[in-house]
Amino acid sequence: MEIETNSVDGIAVATIIGDIDGSNAAAAQSQILTLAQTCTKLVLDMSRVSYMSSAGLRMLLASYRAIAGKGGTVLLAGLSEDLSDTMSLTGFLSFFKTSATVLEGVGLLK
Amino acid sequence: MDTENLTVPGNLDSLKAVREFVKRATGSAGIDKQRAYKLTLAVDEILANIVIHGYDEAGRSGDVEISYHVEEDRLRVDLYDCGIPYDPTQNDTPAHLDKQLEDRPIGGLGVYLARQGTDDFIYEFVNDRNHNTFIVNRAANGS
Repeated sequence: MEIETNSVDGIAVATIIGDIDGSNAAAAQSQILTLAQTCTKLVLDMSRVSYMSSAGLRMLLASYRAIAGKGGTVLLAGLSEDLSDTMSLTGFLSFFKTSATVLEGVGLLK
Repeated sequence: MDTENLTVPGNLDSLKAVREFVKRATGSAGIDKQRAYKLTLAVDEILANIVIHGYDEAGRSGDVEISYHVEEDRLRVDLYDCGIPYDPTQNDTPAHLDKQLEDRPIGGLGVYLARQGTDDFIYEFVNDRNHNTFIVNRAANGS
């Protein structure tokens, strides 16, 4: 699992690459929380995550709290059907804005 | 009957190998992609709990044995570990699923996902070992 960060039209975008599980979710969380200190609008590009366990849900929860706590918005772009299912089943999905692509997500947050 | 066994060290680095093992199991049993993902998630969640709570937090270490059996109408996956005895099937559905994210306690979701991802999820403690059994029907009916 790796995280690449960049900025698209002034909006912070973090692209997570690889499976998110109990072995790496804490590392992902600390990287995203560091990024969250510098922005109030964040797009998490999930299109290259084919697997995410509840450890990933905890990471998303921490990211949500960090950003929403200062009145900001976290948007999840490119969620697979499997990830959407897990998030829907656990009641997480309705709390996040979502989009099919990063560009669409950036447009929604601008 | 198609079957395979694997023994991995009881640490979080084993999660990926076990997911790949479950993928072979569901492929061998002809389970469709969506239900295969859910079974993989179920096993991964319980294995992570075993490593974190059963071994690490209890100051224990040990292996985890996993096997699968493709039976006539179902796929059975068995996990065996020597961590502290813990019955995840006694873990109630989290009562906070309808709560705002700000108010949620963290935890309990893994066992919930394990139960949601299987047609049957059975626990027993035998010969000083935890034994978790995950069952998925090979035909999608009834799930």
